[in-house]
Amino acid sequence: MVELFQIAAEAVGAVVKRFTTLSDAAGYVTSAVGAATVAAPDLPPAVRRVLPELTLAAPADFAVAGAGISVARAGIAATGSLLLELSDPTDRSATALPPVHLVFLDATTIVPTLADLAGLLAENLNRPAPVYLSLTTGPSRTADIERVLTIGVHGPKELHILMMEGDATWTRD
Amino acid sequence: MDKGLIQQKLDNTFLRRALKNFAAAYPVARAKAFEGMDFEELRGRISDFKEGGLEQLPALVEQFTASAEKAGARVHLCTTPDDANRTILEIIRSKNADFLVKSKAMTSEEIELNHYLEKNGVSCLETDLGEWIIQLAGERPSHMVMPAIHKNKEEVAELFSRETGRECPPDIPSLVQTAREALRSGFLTGQVGMSGANVAMADSGTLAIITNEGNGRLVTTLPRTHIALVGVEKIVPSLTEALDVIEILPKNATGQKITSYVSFIKGPTGGDGRELHIVLLDNGRLRLAADPAFREALKCVKCGACANVCPIYELVGGHVFGHIYVGGIGLVLTPFFHGFDKAEEILKLCIGCRKCNEICAARIDIEGLIVDLRDKIRKPFGQKFLFGTLMKNRKLFHAALRTAYLAQKPFQGAGGRIRHLPLVLNRETANRSLPPIAEKPFRDLILEKPESRVPDSLGPVHGSGSREKVLFYSGCLADFVYPEMCQDTVTSLEKLGYTVTFPQNQTCCGIPARYSGEMEVARDMARINTDVLLKEDADYVVTICPTCTMSLKHDFGKLLADEPVYAEKARRLAEKTFNFSELAARKAGSRAQTPGLKTQTPGLKTQTPGLKDPGPEKTGETVTYHDACHLKRGCGVHEEPRKVLRELAGVEIAEMEDCDKCCGFGGSYSIKYPEISQEVLKNKLETIAATGAKTVAVDCPGCKLQIEGGLEAAGSPVKVEHSATLVAKMIG
Ligand code: SF4
Ligand code: SF4
Repeated sequence: MVELFQIAAEAVGAVVKRFTTLSDAAGYVTSAVGAATVAAPDLPPAVRRVLPELTLAAPADFAVAGAGISVARAGIAATGSLLLELSDPTDRSATALPPVHLVFLDATTIVPTLADLAGLLAENLNRPAPVYLSLTTGPSRTADIERVLTIGVHGPKELHILMMEGDATWTRD
Repeated sequence: MDKGLIQQKLDNTFLRRALKNFAAAYPVARAKAFEGMDFEELRGRISDFKEGGLEQLPALVEQFTASAEKAGARVHLCTTPDDANRTILEIIRSKNADFLVKSKAMTSEEIELNHYLEKNGVSCLETDLGEWIIQLAGERPSHMVMPAIHKNKEEVAELFSRETGRECPPDIPSLVQTAREALRSGFLTGQVGMSGANVAMADSGTLAIITNEGNGRLVTTLPRTHIALVGVEKIVPSLTEALDVIEILPKNATGQKITSYVSFIKGPTGGDGRELHIVLLDNGRLRLAADPAFREALKCVKCGACANVCPIYELVGGHVFGHIYVGGIGLVLTPFFHGFDKAEEILKLCIGCRKCNEICAARIDIEGLIVDLRDKIRKPFGQKFLFGTLMKNRKLFHAALRTAYLAQKPFQGAGGRIRHLPLVLNRETANRSLPPIAEKPFRDLILEKPESRVPDSLGPVHGSGSREKVLFYSGCLADFVYPEMCQDTVTSLEKLGYTVTFPQNQTCCGIPARYSGEMEVARDMARINTDVLLKEDADYVVTICPTCTMSLKHDFGKLLADEPVYAEKARRLAEKTFNFSELAARKAGSRAQTPGLKTQTPGLKTQTPGLKDPGPEKTGETVTYHDACHLKRGCGVHEEPRKVLRELAGVEIAEMEDCDKCCGFGGSYSIKYPEISQEVLKNKLETIAATGAKTVAVDCPGCKLQIEGGLEAAGSPVKVEHSATLVAKMIG
């Protein structure tokens, strides 16, 4: 399933990196982000611990941040999609405004198809509180001019999926 | 329809190329996206739950409203475009805002929101790239999913240069980057954002928005107030149904497995004074949902596929083929959303090929609805005499056709191009060209011969006790224009072991009347023919015109549904009506054992030693096959004709590209819109030429007339023959 996910995600232009330890993944984040400021309002404590050097942008500055970092709730193998729970508008803008979006994904949460995600989606949508869920598949794209596929319109131009194949219970913290 | 505009679109080489390229690329991408999935099952489910939902739409609206409000949204049900516009303006004013940042919403085009808001001092910014281009150009979308497909990069560069005040080169990636930069401040400063929704869930009050560019997420995130403008028909019971829509929509729309973003929005998120207003747009939908004859139009999920495959859309684009909503469903929705005056002309643009039906994500009978809607539009004067007086009387009608043979004489050689024969008698349409009406129609020729010409020596076939009895329903065109095609049919069927009778009292199948919106006349024809064809006891009724077959098999039942006696008769007739190729195909494979038939001619046979059945005789000829629209998509028949050609006519088939694409005839269409019809035909002739075949086989006299005319005009030696003729040639 991990392989299928990777093939599907890469087919739509996402970068997929597989890691067994969080520190390896942290190394990748550092190299991908460089010196840029990062929009990551909802980073799990474990990630913050391994990435102490990240310069976090204030929400008002997300539009000029170099990258956004988030954590997916699940993945869909058939389409290489990520399920993100982004009910806080600040979390949402972190994944929507910067040109690069890095997402941690626990490999064990990958399901075969969209239909297999129905349970998890319903669980979220049936709670009384307002909620905003986002299925993200590859970077932002358009084919509105002469039907030529062009990556990166209003959303991120790059989507990096950091697939965690070792212990990733921290993604749920 | 404005002929000037049609010609302008036909002459627009960029538009033509763009649409043609898309038409070629789309099926490939789409097939890939649906790989491993059962499209028919999926769209069957969608059709079912949408239908069920429409029956109880008011209840769904109520349930959705309650759930969404419970989640903190405010729901406004608006009856008219005016109501909706006013409501939206009030929301914006209540925020002291004068600027609306928008992602794509066809509903907003439907109510012409931008125009209204601008008039009232609110500026609007479209952020979907295609919509922005259209907004800058002051035009309307020409496709539901790709609004600016008619614009080339040079035009876009010019618009962007004008807007940004700096020179933008016509380079697509850089134009996209320009849009990203130019629209950013709109997202960041907009106090109110607007989106549409692709589906709304009644049980949880959730909206789902399917987008690619990411602007949809920005307008529902950065502005503190979000207005979603949603047609009431978008409401489905729950997430289960919504997921089916999300599954099918991008695949059918553009051949994407899923779009970049699918957002599920329930209530206003983020607290602290953030608001979500859901404006539910009725604009005639609730009334339409209560109308069993037309409500299926609302099953539409707005995937745009019906435009993607439409041969007429491919030629003229959405500014001609539609109003606000374009493509096949655009023709259907326009009268309900924008009034019959807007729909009258565009409803006539459909050629009736049913490509849209085949692809529709909600399995809507789009073509059927278009035909039914024509009943509701004004009829031209000449039509009244033709359908009102003439056609109701078979003798008068047939006499008029005979007279037409004489009348046409001075014009012959001009090439007659009429599929639905009666229209030749219409003064309005007859002045263009007259069909080559035969001196003696088949109905006269057959009288000169004995009733059944089956020699006794042929005896019973297949060892069965008796020959099956077939009533031959020729259709007017074959009867009066191609009597030899009728002869060949009789010969072939008899040689194949059927007994054939031609009931003299048969008359027009009523399709021309129906297509011209004359339902009463069509109903008369249905009654007459049902009586005639059931009077004699027969195993089958066979036709050689698939349009007639559709009429006998499907339309009669529909037309007579309210008359129990006739409805039952129509059902019986439908059960035993078949196309020639279907009946002939039953005898394929067993022909070698049929006594009395020509068997292998030494030297020609392709016998493989050791095989028991020597197989059919081969003529060695290669033909190409054109699938008639009404045979393939109207009757679901496409394998049988090939079997008949290979096994009974003994020919090889060199398939042409897009073999099931319309030849451009569409009945009286070629007379009303000759310029469009000729362009469709041109494509067909090119694909025929590419096969190198010397004969085009068809199963429809209309296709023969059209393609033959095109080939003749081009000076091509390629012949067009009905399968029945090719079979007769082989075994007759
Ligand atoms: S029937 Fe053919 S011509 Fe008519 S709308 Fe459908 S695809 Fe277009
Ligand atoms: S009518 Fe069918 S094919 Fe056309 S847009 Fe609607 S769902 Fe799609």
